Amino acid sequence: MGDKDDRSPKKKKGGTKDMDDLKKEVPITEHKMSIEEVCRKFQTDIVQGLTNAKAAEFLIRDGPNALTPPPTTPEWVKFCRQLFGGFSVLLWIGAILCLLAYAIQAATEDDPAGDNVSNPHTHARTYSHLALLHLINPSLYLGIVLTAVVIITGCFSYFQEAKSSKIMESFKNMVPQVDNSSLTGESEPQSRSPDCTHDNPLETRNVAFFSTNCVEGTARGLVICTGDRTVMGRIATLTSGLETGKTPIAKEIEHFIHIITGVAVFLGITFFILAIVLGYTWLEAVIFLIGIIVANVPEGLLATVTVCLTLTAKRMAKKNCLVKNLEAVETLGSTSTICSDKTGTLTQNRMTVAHMWFDNQIHEADTTEDQSGASFDKSSVTWLSLARVAGLCNRAQFKGGQDPLPILKRDVAGDASESALLKCIELSCGSVRMMRDKNKKVAEIPFNSTNKYQLSVHETEDPNDNRYLLVMKGAPERILDRCTTILIQGKEQPMDEELKEAFQNAYMELGGLGERVLGFCHLLLPEDQYPKGFAFDTEDVNFQTDNLCFVGLMSMIDPPRAAVPDAVGKCRSAGIKVIMVTGDHPITAKAIAKGVGIISEGNETVEDIAARLNIPVSQVNPRDAKACVIHGTDLKDLSQDQMDDILRNHTEIVFARTSPQQKLIIVEGCQRLGAIVAVTGDGVNDSPALKKADIGVAMGISGSDVSKQAADMILLDDNFASIVTGVEEGRLIFDNLKKSIAYTLTSNIPEITPFLFFIIVNIPLPLGTITILCIDLGTDMVPAISLAYETAESDIMKRQPRNPFRDKLVNERLISIAYGQIGMIQALGGFFSYFVILAENGFLPSFLVGIRLNWDDRSVNDLEDSYGQQWTYEQRKIVEFTCHTAFFVSIVVVQWADVIICKTRRNSVFQQGMRNKILIFGLFEETALAAFLSYCPGMDVALRMYPLKPTWWFCAFPYSFLIFVYDEVRKLLIRRNPGGWVERETYY
Amino acid sequence: MASTEDKPASKENTSSWKDSFYNPRTGEVLGRTASSWALILLFYLVFYCFLAGMFALTMWVLLLTLDDYVPKYRDRVPNPGLVIRPNALDMYFNKSDPLKYAQYVQHLETFLQGYNDTEQEKNEDCPQGEYFMQDDSADMSKKACRFKRGFLSLCSGLSDTNFGYSEGKPCVLLKMNRIIGLKPRGDPYINCTVKRDNPIQMQYFPSEGRIDKMYFPYYGKKAHENYVQPLVAVKLLLTKEDYNKELPVECRVEGSDLRNNDERDKFLGRVTFRIKVVE
Repeated sequence: MGDKDDRSPKKKKGGTKDMDDLKKEVPITEHKMSIEEVCRKFQTDIVQGLTNAKAAEFLIRDGPNALTPPPTTPEWVKFCRQLFGGFSVLLWIGAILCLLAYAIQAATEDDPAGDNVSNPHTHARTYSHLALLHLINPSLYLGIVLTAVVIITGCFSYFQEAKSSKIMESFKNMVPQVDNSSLTGESEPQSRSPDCTHDNPLETRNVAFFSTNCVEGTARGLVICTGDRTVMGRIATLTSGLETGKTPIAKEIEHFIHIITGVAVFLGITFFILAIVLGYTWLEAVIFLIGIIVANVPEGLLATVTVCLTLTAKRMAKKNCLVKNLEAVETLGSTSTICSDKTGTLTQNRMTVAHMWFDNQIHEADTTEDQSGASFDKSSVTWLSLARVAGLCNRAQFKGGQDPLPILKRDVAGDASESALLKCIELSCGSVRMMRDKNKKVAEIPFNSTNKYQLSVHETEDPNDNRYLLVMKGAPERILDRCTTILIQGKEQPMDEELKEAFQNAYMELGGLGERVLGFCHLLLPEDQYPKGFAFDTEDVNFQTDNLCFVGLMSMIDPPRAAVPDAVGKCRSAGIKVIMVTGDHPITAKAIAKGVGIISEGNETVEDIAARLNIPVSQVNPRDAKACVIHGTDLKDLSQDQMDDILRNHTEIVFARTSPQQKLIIVEGCQRLGAIVAVTGDGVNDSPALKKADIGVAMGISGSDVSKQAADMILLDDNFASIVTGVEEGRLIFDNLKKSIAYTLTSNIPEITPFLFFIIVNIPLPLGTITILCIDLGTDMVPAISLAYETAESDIMKRQPRNPFRDKLVNERLISIAYGQIGMIQALGGFFSYFVILAENGFLPSFLVGIRLNWDDRSVNDLEDSYGQQWTYEQRKIVEFTCHTAFFVSIVVVQWADVIICKTRRNSVFQQGMRNKILIFGLFEETALAAFLSYCPGMDVALRMYPLKPTWWFCAFPYSFLIFVYDEVRKLLIRRNPGGWVERETYY
Repeated sequence: MASTEDKPASKENTSSWKDSFYNPRTGEVLGRTASSWALILLFYLVFYCFLAGMFALTMWVLLLTLDDYVPKYRDRVPNPGLVIRPNALDMYFNKSDPLKYAQYVQHLETFLQGYNDTEQEKNEDCPQGEYFMQDDSADMSKKACRFKRGFLSLCSGLSDTNFGYSEGKPCVLLKMNRIIGLKPRGDPYINCTVKRDNPIQMQYFPSEGRIDKMYFPYYGKKAHENYVQPLVAVKLLLTKEDYNKELPVECRVEGSDLRNNDERDKFLGRVTFRIKVVE
């Protein structure tokens, strides 16, 4: 038992912290030693403590008594991660290649930016340089643009992340520090004494722990550990040292980046080689490579994903789920197992009177948070007596200045069970203070562990009655021993065997509900023996404390929160297994588990079956029991296989009396079986499990700082039901991200194909790199983000959680639809408008094949078209850039249809409706942006985009319509033939 | 603990890698059975055939809307470009070394083949100084005005087959781009200047570098099959002092509404080339 004023740190071997070692139980043995032994061990004195010199020596050796803060990632590292992660690497390569190409050009050419070649060269060389010029100069431009794109998107993501962590920090300042000893998960103050009462250092009475507070009394102790070596320190070190895996969505995004990068690199290299084979110079081939990379990488997609996640995080924060780590938004949706702490999460973390036994009958009290439950008959005289005893023999009182608050919300000074009684009486009988004023206290014996009762003597209400009233409460069996009569219907009756048995039954029954039972009795002291003014001596008890009259029992429990049973039910129908992990006693844990539905009605544990069939536990087939309650001490002896066996074969599991390390082991066990695990908890003891979990959910009001640090998500209202919201939002965002990605990826095909045709069949370039960036970072952004606002197509809480190995964010079916089908239609739409513009300006399609060499040659200024007209370089380039603009506009037009079909994956758009206002806004926004880019004066210089004739906007309309019809038919087939070929090949 | 977890996982990985190419148990190649491959490939074949059909249909509709004689829009070519023959913006030759200038001479000779008398005899002798307007006749075909090689006189290559290159007084031909329906107002003529202090003597053929209006308007390749563009030849009368120097020459179309000062398009109604003659 130590406190901080007496420093004598414990020596510890070596500085290396082995994680496995930390996972084992605490190796403290001092509690088993005698005081002298401990003194010897730490070379200290029981009275004087350490000498100053020794203390200083220990301080140097062990450092101050403080926890090592967890290592934080420096900001610049975070920034660099954003700058070089994901697609950025590809874009950096593109940008560097661009600048390299420019540098080479600049080195070989005196006047790289000039229009005319200044030095006389031989003809052939002059021509080749001139032909390259149009590619080289934009390459500097493009290099700068690409760099800007990478840096801007990097900054954007960094900013988003910084913002969410800032929210977290501001939140931290908002919540007042709540004092609760969260080390063992017990919400009751624990008494301490010098004797070793248990082998387990966490259970023994003679050790006090770092970071726990002394609520009442005084003690003197020896420090045996400091800082990181304390139990708390070990948990904190364990927590911060735990390797947390990537979030499921991070894995999905990585998987998707691999696919896209693979496609980009494959196409890039193929066409690089092809270009060389076709006789292009290597410099041109490099520029083609850049073009293909730019076309292939959906530049805006990662930003879109970030925004979608942020939006969901904001929506969840409104519903009291604060998400610390953006990626964790989706994790709840993938969750297949929730390990929930009991106290404070499933329960109200407040002792409440649940049952009463009087008049030989069990009465149920209202335990709901808002007093909406049923009430019992309060008219009985016995109840009035019981209330009087409970109100008078009670040291708890309301703190001042809380009159406007509802009774249940008021703060109480006093221990948990007395507060429960106080509130119960206040609720049903009115002011306890008035009752106490009327019945002045004369003497009192407070509760102690040897008596196991509390007693007080009061004057009676009736001023004419000079008798004293003795009231007593305590452990029911002790109270019963002191009683000879019992109050039934307000009349004292002798306590016979029958009533004693009734008492026993009631006591057993209430105890079996996991409730803490207190007995109450009273006695009006005879006036002749105890006249007015009798001096009651509480030290040397000089009055009658037996032959009392038994009044009744009251039992208390920390009741479940009202919304929890419903939430647990929802989790179950969503295919999520809910496991209770608590430091509390098995009986209480089981009672609460049954109360909230973690152990559902009709499901029995092995023990229940044994009790029902009246056979020993060992004879019951464990497979018959779906539910099980496992004690921490049993858990310690389980092998990994046994553990897996339990987790696999029981659907309803309660772990009681678990240590922090065991919580961690449970989480790891679940993860080993492939589950995505969410852990909810509020105490320091939960933090290793919170950290290890795929998503740790901490409690915002009652949660300790350490647990909030370790968690990924915080429930601001401490309500388990908020988790269900989280699951729903997480599942929805996963579906919607699929849609968003399908939408964004589709436009990749109309972006790549122009380049491929440019290289292979030598037509003028139909779509430039700048216009590609305008699509990816401009027009596609808002519609893609708007898909995050899409409502669910079906009840997402009725289906199983996704299988992380099978259900990928981006799968081959999505690629097949986006690239192989819709993308191809889009490309045709774009090419059609390209051909329309060229044909209407005089270059017929048949004329274009192979025209590229002359077309891109700056020195050819009389290029003939199909009608015999001759064009200067600039004149035909304007037509080409008009084509780029038209191709761009066509992509916008076909993307209208794409965003509408991406709204749903199975339902028809007509079933889903067009209620997504953001999406409608997105449609108008992208159209307005496209019109702006095309018609705004100055765009011809800035982005080389030119005004289109109104009719050119309509070129892609048939293709847009085709996309819509095609996909509606596809989805109709999916709905008509569930599990059919169409679904297997195209349902993403 | 971590290592024991990793090992089976990596084993699984290698086998699944092999399986992803060919799985002998299920007969799957790249994750699909033969029939599954056949079905999906058939689907894509049919799908793409349909798309090709759709594309062909829209293209056919597009071609239906087009006129055979005149493109739908001509607003992208409101003004003609000016180009030179031989087609080289940097001319650099030794007047006494025929090998150096042979390519220019060859180029001019080939270019002027279309202007030979044998060809031009077929064309009309049009009245000078006015547009040669022709009504839409039944067969749409239009008559062309004659431009004989001989109009270029010293630069025609008829009298001097070396176009003056051997004597250090080279000829450069200028032509304006063909644009359907273009009718320049005023009297267009070509004027060349050398950006230098003391001007160089130049000789223009036809005289004063005039481009006659009778060669306008142009009716398009299909209707105006025998059309030839009017040419202007410039003979740079270089003297001894001008040799061995790089001379920047700028030629412009003047005297009409044709643009010759566009910011971006340096070939619109003007052309700049450099010439350097070595003795």
